[in-house]
Amino acid sequence: MNTHTTPDPREADDWLEQALRSDAREHRDGYVDDAGFTARVMAALPAAMEIVPRWRRPAVAAIWAAAAAGMAVALPGVALDIGREAYRLLAAQPLSLAQVGVTLAVLGIGTWAAAAWTLQRD
Amino acid sequence: MASPPDSDAALIARAVVQDDRHAFAELVRRHQSTVRACLRKLTAGNHALADDLAQETFVLAWRNLKSFRQEARFSTWLYRIATNCWLADARKRKEELLGDAGGDGDDESMAAALGEATPDHARGAALKMDLERAMAALSEGERAAIVQCYHNDLSHEEASYVLGMPVGTVKTHILRGKQKLKIALAAWAPQT
Repeated sequence: MNTHTTPDPREADDWLEQALRSDAREHRDGYVDDAGFTARVMAALPAAMEIVPRWRRPAVAAIWAAAAAGMAVALPGVALDIGREAYRLLAAQPLSLAQVGVTLAVLGIGTWAAAAWTLQRD
Repeated sequence: MASPPDSDAALIARAVVQDDRHAFAELVRRHQSTVRACLRKLTAGNHALADDLAQETFVLAWRNLKSFRQEARFSTWLYRIATNCWLADARKRKEELLGDAGGDGDDESMAAALGEATPDHARGAALKMDLERAMAALSEGERAAIVQCYHNDLSHEEASYVLGMPVGTVKTHILRGKQKLKIALAAWAPQT
């Protein structure tokens, strides 16, 4: 059974406010010693990612493009032969429209996923 | 002559642009005490859990440092991550927490146990223990709002950013929390 008489609400508020503020002051004044905490955090960080210079990606793309162009110029017949053979192989396959559609969709999804992954990484 | 210490903003810039881990370590050293103390308060004095959550907080801060837009103080941003870590963990442990909070009937208030003729410092310590126990029984939102506004000394607007809720909700949580504290600590109320 509660034996206390009902306190004045404003007085009760003051008292609780005072208790909370005193607890908060004590909380802010206290200092938690590091005791190896920073070292533990640093050890838990993910491994450093290799920093790729901005110029590297376009440079690599340019080298590949130059190599492809060089091959096409040096061996003009080969590129044509490869294209013709690829067409002949594909044309010989009994591909349905649905299969072509699925293949295109897979290629599209793959391209977009690779692009999204690259953008996210950057 | 020693050069003045780098500002938080300068250390953040070095950590982001140059992947400078020493700069981030300095940030951790600077803010570990406040973050760990805040989490100790939120976890109702569970130091081991608070330190685990503090570590998780700093690892998340490192991973998301690029997204820190300096719209709030770095310490406020850390409180936000810490509070989210604590809330996520509390949700996982919800059943346990509810079980603990439900057992209040057995706990006799220190005020009743101490009686009248008690020195002030002993009464102060006892009140602190009762307050800690009463805080532990508050809802997560109420406890978090009171800790951010009283213990971390944040404004209602800053607490709103940290807790990810409107200012009005923060105020409501504080009001409800204090009403519950008043009931839980009724034995400490001044008698007329």
